[in-house]
Amino acid sequence: MSKLLLIDDEEGVRKVFSLYLRKEGYEVFTAEDGEKGLRIFKQERPPLVLTDIKMPGMDGVEVLMRIKEMDPETEVIIITGHGDMDLAIQSLKFGASDFITKPVNDEALSIALERAEEKWNMRKRLKEYTLDLERMVEAATEEMRRRCEFENKLIQSSIDGIVATDEKGIIIIYNKGAERIFAYPRSEVVRRMTIFDLYPPWVADEFRECLFRKSCKRPYTWDQTAIIRKDSQQTPVSFSGAILFEKEEVIGSVGFIHDLTKIKHLEEELIKSERLAAIGQTVAGLGHYIKNILIGLKGGAYIVNSAIDKKDMNSLRDGWKMVERSIHKVSALVLDLLSYSKEREPQYRKCFPNDIIKEVCGLLEQHANRYNISIIKKLDDSIGEICMDPEALHRCGLNLVSNAIDACIFDHGDYNKEKDWFVEVRTALERDNKMRIEIIDNGCGMDEDVKDKIFTSFFSTKGGKGTGLGLLVTQKIASELGGSIEVQSELGKGSTFTIKLPYKEIEN
Amino acid sequence: MRKKVLIVDDDPDVIMFITSLLESGNYKMIVAKNGEEAMAKVKEDKPDLVILDILMPKESGIRMYRGLKTTEYLKNIPVFIYSGISKRTFLRSQATLAEFGGEAVPEPEAYIEKPGEPEDILDTVRELLYQGSSSS
Repeated sequence: MSKLLLIDDEEGVRKVFSLYLRKEGYEVFTAEDGEKGLRIFKQERPPLVLTDIKMPGMDGVEVLMRIKEMDPETEVIIITGHGDMDLAIQSLKFGASDFITKPVNDEALSIALERAEEKWNMRKRLKEYTLDLERMVEAATEEMRRRCEFENKLIQSSIDGIVATDEKGIIIIYNKGAERIFAYPRSEVVRRMTIFDLYPPWVADEFRECLFRKSCKRPYTWDQTAIIRKDSQQTPVSFSGAILFEKEEVIGSVGFIHDLTKIKHLEEELIKSERLAAIGQTVAGLGHYIKNILIGLKGGAYIVNSAIDKKDMNSLRDGWKMVERSIHKVSALVLDLLSYSKEREPQYRKCFPNDIIKEVCGLLEQHANRYNISIIKKLDDSIGEICMDPEALHRCGLNLVSNAIDACIFDHGDYNKEKDWFVEVRTALERDNKMRIEIIDNGCGMDEDVKDKIFTSFFSTKGGKGTGLGLLVTQKIASELGGSIEVQSELGKGSTFTIKLPYKEIEN
Repeated sequence: MRKKVLIVDDDPDVIMFITSLLESGNYKMIVAKNGEEAMAKVKEDKPDLVILDILMPKESGIRMYRGLKTTEYLKNIPVFIYSGISKRTFLRSQATLAEFGGEAVPEPEAYIEKPGEPEDILDTVRELLYQGSSSS
């Protein structure tokens, strides 16, 4: 039941109205003047007030104003007599919802009440709706704030630098990571600097192009570059970035900067330690090889000494030969070392390359025969006298052919198989003024792992019997001449080394 | 009876050196160029001592050593390893082989890294040939 306050100075009116309104279902409070009416209003807060306009003391207009002050939502209906039209209109201006004229007829009153109630209800609903809306907005705002904060925390807690700009390139996001990398404090950067001040010039140029041309959408992949810090120091970084779009419109840019100082440092350390390890390996390999030579020297010396004591000429000769062989090994090693470490000027001279190859094979023939390995020469007879570096050809040929023989000797040991081992040497001239020498063997071959290593480090599969320098020297000589060396190999089947060395035709 | 010494090495210089070194001792010297050949000669000639190199073509000294020490009637032949490879590396490779399913083998009776001193080599050979069994 809805509450209703009725203010009128005439008792009769109050009585009649009360009767009627109660019958209509209202809980009716009555007051004979404005003062009293306001008191009741404060207590009961009725949504509907009916007030006479002309009353002793406070008049209806003032009551209306005071009520609206207290609760603007209250519907106030003014009761007027004839000739109070001006006042009635004034009261409408102050927010009265309606007025009815005396003598009040029931129908008019009922319509006015209905209207007022409807208005009040509507307003109430509107208010509830507004409240709901406000609550929703508040919740959404809170959610948004939380999300914003979360994202902000994400950005701030990144170790990588994150720098975002508006469409003009003015920096609006600059996280702690960026602060660390660039060494500019946030306060100096956000809204005060552009990325064109901050980024290395080439990166800045690309961003400028993309932001202002508004055409490029490609994100930057990680690129290594160096940035200049506030303290003018350089920091190696890897950089990636993107232009931000909203419905085809450029709205800004973002850059991610990853500090590489530590990684670079580690890389340098690694290279250093690798180099040290390589030196260590080389030294160990050399030590091993020299130790082997030393056996020959010591043994030879021992045999020579005891032969002198016994005056045994045969032993003396054997011992001395052993010493000489060792001397030869030392000089070969020193030659290898020197030719590896020294720059060598190519020396082109007239020569017969096939003869050089024959000489190389001749030098190694005896050694090969001892292990039942045949050396097959398939030399292109049309190669006559040409101009090339004979010494280089000799060194490369010697290294590769003796390697091939070793591969066959190792095959003896590794697989215990019976086969006719051979080393085949082929020569040919190629069109682009290169001489091709192929050394093919059916020895032990190499697996991928070994094949990868043969040209890279001081690597040897021959235990103490190789310096691990032969192929390095061969490759070095070939590349110094502008030639090349290639290898094909299969474990257990054999290897083919192909070396190409440049030559010149002899004029006239 | 003359003591028999089997010298196993692929380097003819080493063989020549050891044989002339042992000439003074009145030993019967047998020579093999690799593990395979050596194993055959061990079985045939029953030497009193094996002087063994490690890095050789055809069956390395590492395998040959295992063969000797894991064969009942051969394992009492003393083995003197004379190699460019350090003793530590040799023992490590034997331990690795044992770890991967092989039998554990004892340490060799003597080990000298090449080149070594001629006197040490001679003393070692003498010691190995006449220790314990010298009465027989």
